[in-house]
Amino acid sequence: MKRIAGLLLLVFVLAMGASASAEVIKIGVFEPMTGPNAAGGEMTVEGIELALELRGEVLGRKVEIIVVDNKSDKVEAANAVSRLIERENVVAIIGSYGSSLSMAAGDIVNKAKVPTVGCSPTNPLVTLNNPYYFRVCFIDPFQGTVMANYAVNELGAKTAAIIQDVTQDYSVGLSKYFVDAFRELTGDRNSIVEMSSYNTGDQDFTAQLTNVKNKMPDVVFAPGNYGESALLIRQARELGIDVPFLGGDTWEAPEFLTIGGVAVEGAVFSTHFTAEAPVTEESEVFLAAYREKFGREANAFAALGYDAYMLILDVIEKAGSADSQAIRDGLAATEGFVGATGVITLDENGDAVKSAVINQVDDGKFIYLTTVEPF
Amino acid sequence: MREKSKTQITLIILVLTALGLFLANRYLDPYKIRIINLSGIYVTLGLSMNLINGMTGMFSLGHAGFMAIGAYTVGILTMPVTMKEMNFFMQPIVPFLANVEWGFLPALFAAGLIAAFFGILIGAPVLRLTDDYLAIATLGFAEIIRVVFTNTQSLTNGALGLKGIPNYTNIWWSWGVALVTVWFIWFLMKGTYGKAFLAIREDEIAARSMGINLFKHKVMSFAFGCFFAGVAGGLMAGMLGTIDPNMFRITLTFNILLIVVLGGLGQIGGTIISAVIVTVMMEALRFLDEAMDLGFVQIKGIPGMRMVVFSIILIIVVIIREKGLVRRPKGRELTYAKN
Repeated sequence: MKRIAGLLLLVFVLAMGASASAEVIKIGVFEPMTGPNAAGGEMTVEGIELALELRGEVLGRKVEIIVVDNKSDKVEAANAVSRLIERENVVAIIGSYGSSLSMAAGDIVNKAKVPTVGCSPTNPLVTLNNPYYFRVCFIDPFQGTVMANYAVNELGAKTAAIIQDVTQDYSVGLSKYFVDAFRELTGDRNSIVEMSSYNTGDQDFTAQLTNVKNKMPDVVFAPGNYGESALLIRQARELGIDVPFLGGDTWEAPEFLTIGGVAVEGAVFSTHFTAEAPVTEESEVFLAAYREKFGREANAFAALGYDAYMLILDVIEKAGSADSQAIRDGLAATEGFVGATGVITLDENGDAVKSAVINQVDDGKFIYLTTVEPF
Repeated sequence: MREKSKTQITLIILVLTALGLFLANRYLDPYKIRIINLSGIYVTLGLSMNLINGMTGMFSLGHAGFMAIGAYTVGILTMPVTMKEMNFFMQPIVPFLANVEWGFLPALFAAGLIAAFFGILIGAPVLRLTDDYLAIATLGFAEIIRVVFTNTQSLTNGALGLKGIPNYTNIWWSWGVALVTVWFIWFLMKGTYGKAFLAIREDEIAARSMGINLFKHKVMSFAFGCFFAGVAGGLMAGMLGTIDPNMFRITLTFNILLIVVLGGLGQIGGTIISAVIVTVMMEALRFLDEAMDLGFVQIKGIPGMRMVVFSIILIIVVIIREKGLVRRPKGRELTYAKN
């Protein structure tokens, strides 16, 4: 019993945290810094840290960011956010990479009434029915529709095959909206000739690809993680499937090019941002600063992290107050905010209505193709 | 005389625990209450796994799968009808579940019963295996459940997961269930069934020659373990408010196994303590991830540092106390450690 009493004491001691000074404005960041999603979390935090360096003050008060790791785990994500709110007394929160991790935080920020801005969770459920959750990225329905439009209008595709990663929410979501839009655009219910699935971690896609090959589609839409997708495209080329491959924002990773090699040449995907064609003046500022700080080109996740931070600061300045409720109201009314990833307007759900960028792999690099405005 | 004083001690402990929880619930902030809740859930999980692995000696690695069954049962049964419509925007939910909205208690019972049902279903053929083979079979089963849940879009919403499960789980639920589990397993182990479990663990052939029905007892122990795993999964769903199949990966099972091994195989008290310590430590060590200012040097925060330190502590503990955290004299209550 002594030990249990000691433990209880330990729990109580946890209570004695650092007390915040009133002068500093604290913004919490919860991102996967370890675990399977660590790469994405790290890129996002880079962008946020860069934004802090460029703009570390608002209303004459210093801004501090507090980064906590959510271990790519739902339970930890909930703990991390709860910690940010209760122990660090943050006025607003940024995060997280990974929709399921963001959803785990949803109930907590809603109850505590702390506004939260997601950087790259694209699952529609994240902000749904939650007045305190916002995001600076577009959502899967938009992205899927954009790619269907591209396939039909630019590539002149009449038929398409889908290969989705059934364990990833965004992959399933993108496929669903691609299918809906593609059917509507072609006016043909049978225009989707094949629909197959695989699981994260799979290495061999011959079975799915053989089916696709037999159906001879004009394009293949295969949203998924960069590793699996690159392997999939390689195997497709080996099997002699030479139609264009389309995908989503997750393909924008250097590993996609290194794993895919020549096979991924010509692959087209939608994303939030491109380093090549700055969409706004803010993009140029961001790109230059990023290059200077990290010595390499910026990616979409860093840009989204940057935008989330800048948006919160912009709202604080406009509201003239760093009060959580004022920030929430300000965020909800966001219209035409000029960020690094485009001009952001938040709709009634708190989702960003903004343009998408379409990139293509060309000569071992991501080349900017076109920008698609929201419809 | 001795019996009486024991009852008194038990009562005092219960009252003190209740008082402690009441005060915690009243004066602590939601973050600390969350950790206490999580500790309670892990106590239930640790004990249910200890019943199977520690007390009956069956090396099962299927816990995450049974938790998933419980979590989804509670999630789907308690979720308000309008929320279900919002969640299932890709494919509508199967009609017979669309208008169901249960209370938390019946849903938790259903979670436990369904998990136990699947426990019996998988246990009947698989429990004839022993050791590593059983571990592989149960691990495979847990993965199958996860894959099935990923693919049944109209039942579980697939990879998109469920959101908006009512937050019923509070201190009383999580620790109430934990205490019921402690009491149940203690009661079970005191009786003939418990003795039979221990006999099976020590020597199957000897146990059988003494007239113990191996199959019946193994399935029973497995089903009880699965029942509580399902209930704990349900509590987890009620605490987080959102679940998805990727939550229930093999790493979750290993977390629980860690608690069981640290607490000592076959020990009730040890499991309770190790469950609380492991849960609290993961949060308490968070300061290691942060940037540190030691006055003369400033160390930049390294994410993941707490896991490194945590693992080192674990290794040390396991080396020093290979029979578990708590060492009790032989023959005392709450200990069914292997000799």
